[in-house]
Amino acid sequence: MLKPYTPALDMSDIQATVLRPRPSPYVGEYVVLRIDDAAQGREMLRRIIPHVAPADEWWVPSLPGWLGIAFTYQGLKALGLPQASLDSFPVEFRQGMAARAAILHDFGGNAPSNWEYPFGNSDMHVALAVYSDNEQHLGEILARAGQSHHDLAHVSVVYRMRFNELPGGRNPFGFRDGLHNPHVEGSVAEEDGFVPAASNASIKAGEFVMGYPDELGQTALAPIPGELRHNGTFVAFRKFHMDVAAFRKYLRAHASSPEEEELLAAKMVGRWRSGAPLVLAPDHDDPALGGDATRNNDFSYADDMKGLKCPFSAHTRRINPRDALKDDVVNVNLHKFLRRGTNYGSALPEGVLEDDGAERGGVFLLIGAHLQRQFEFVQSQWATDGNFISHGAEQDPLVGNNDGEGVFTIPKIPVRRRLHGLPCFVSVRGGEYCFMPGLRALQWLARLGDNAD
Amino acid sequence: MTTKVIENERTAMSQHITRQPDGPGKRIGKKGEISFLGKLAPGAAKVFRERLPQIQAEAGSWEDGVGTVVDFRATLIDNDTRMLVTIVYDGDFKPYLEDVLSKAGPWLDQVFGGFEGFKGVKDRKSVEELVANTHFECDLFYIANPDVTARDVAKMQRLSKAVGDLLDAAN
Repeated sequence: MLKPYTPALDMSDIQATVLRPRPSPYVGEYVVLRIDDAAQGREMLRRIIPHVAPADEWWVPSLPGWLGIAFTYQGLKALGLPQASLDSFPVEFRQGMAARAAILHDFGGNAPSNWEYPFGNSDMHVALAVYSDNEQHLGEILARAGQSHHDLAHVSVVYRMRFNELPGGRNPFGFRDGLHNPHVEGSVAEEDGFVPAASNASIKAGEFVMGYPDELGQTALAPIPGELRHNGTFVAFRKFHMDVAAFRKYLRAHASSPEEEELLAAKMVGRWRSGAPLVLAPDHDDPALGGDATRNNDFSYADDMKGLKCPFSAHTRRINPRDALKDDVVNVNLHKFLRRGTNYGSALPEGVLEDDGAERGGVFLLIGAHLQRQFEFVQSQWATDGNFISHGAEQDPLVGNNDGEGVFTIPKIPVRRRLHGLPCFVSVRGGEYCFMPGLRALQWLARLGDNAD
Repeated sequence: MTTKVIENERTAMSQHITRQPDGPGKRIGKKGEISFLGKLAPGAAKVFRERLPQIQAEAGSWEDGVGTVVDFRATLIDNDTRMLVTIVYDGDFKPYLEDVLSKAGPWLDQVFGGFEGFKGVKDRKSVEELVANTHFECDLFYIANPDVTARDVAKMQRLSKAVGDLLDAAN
């Protein structure tokens, strides 16, 4: 017998972007606004709130898609949030992502000085993420969003960026996309038909949404006041350029056959292009496994502790080590975030090895209640360092900040293979930390100046 | 007073010193350092001395669980009124703090439990205050093999043994 539907989370208050995967296929747009007048900013907010999708409406949306809204520290300041409240936000949010470059290993080509405007700039105040299933519906939602500020002279659009799904739900490198996310305790009822893989245990909701106990049994006490904090979370926004031609050329130069190229690519990623995980399909791709949502995430590294199937340094094993670090100091449940990834640009045609100069890549919304021990930890300790796997300075072969001298180790018997000369396949084009409040908190923000104005 | 390094054959071996990217302490290669100096609560030194044999005996187990500590010293000073703790460890300090507290909390409580005002690692606010009020960075820092971690040493020992066994078998 099914258990009664008793959601632990206040789905009607949490933004859909936090808890729900994007549609497939999808089109969408990121829009960044700057606010030069607090009263006009709050007026924009009042108008746009009815269009912001809550998580419980995801299954039967009132709009032909959904809109999410989040604010930078500068944005909250521009809306007139009192200083005591601004000061109560965690230091990394107050500083902004660009100021954390040394911690995040955003050096060289990834340095904030090379980011696109308005990332790393104090002009980035409000971020809108609009998702839909087709261009017509997207246009309708964008029009409603535009109506919220079209007559407000002191609210301006400073950035717009379209995104869309690539054929087959692949990322620009050709790998099946968006396969894994932690299961948030209480976020999905059995009636919804979702059954998390046995090896993908639920994570306490407080890791991802404030107002609920987290993995340490603590409930967030900041930012203040509680009306602002409750059902809110943080978003690390990262825009990446993906150098697909460089990736293909590297594979071609270091493999002796097309089959070996595919194996090498899978070793770097930790999955085959179909999505089949290496630990379940170590020798060749298994498209049926890759396409089976009940199986493609149901695996552990327990019988691959020497990395002979999936290298320690493979992208997916680094970013989500599952049980691979069970004998280590680290508690992996403290370092998880929800990942809402989207791709932009067109696919580089099959077989092309020369860069066509087109901009293509991905934008990731990395969502969690603890930016420092989630996004910043994963970026600084697992993606851009090799200490935790005894690999010295070796970085993630795919998303690491490799500089042409990167190293990638593939455990093998009798002798491991070590590849050298890895370039930077993925470059940072920009990023920022945002606060994504619950819907009641949005209303609270919109009312901020009611007594003063 | 000398304010400038005079280059000579010995300074050619100078180690490049930085600071931890997100937390207190100096850093050379992969090794970081941090120290704590704090006043002890009345009677805390006596309790520490009584418990010391057990704390010492369990140090290997707890710190092996953490896996990144190279050197850990705790010393009662100033007629048992204060304690000095110095640590050298691999990697960053702040990102791993939560994991270390979760993994080795009971042992760390035994070591730091006598610091005045400290309520134990389960009270994270108290940990924050302890770190903020008692930590300091050393003035002079030297570390051998700065790019080799404790985990690397264990791996090299295994490798060295395997090579030794192979050579022995070949004789």
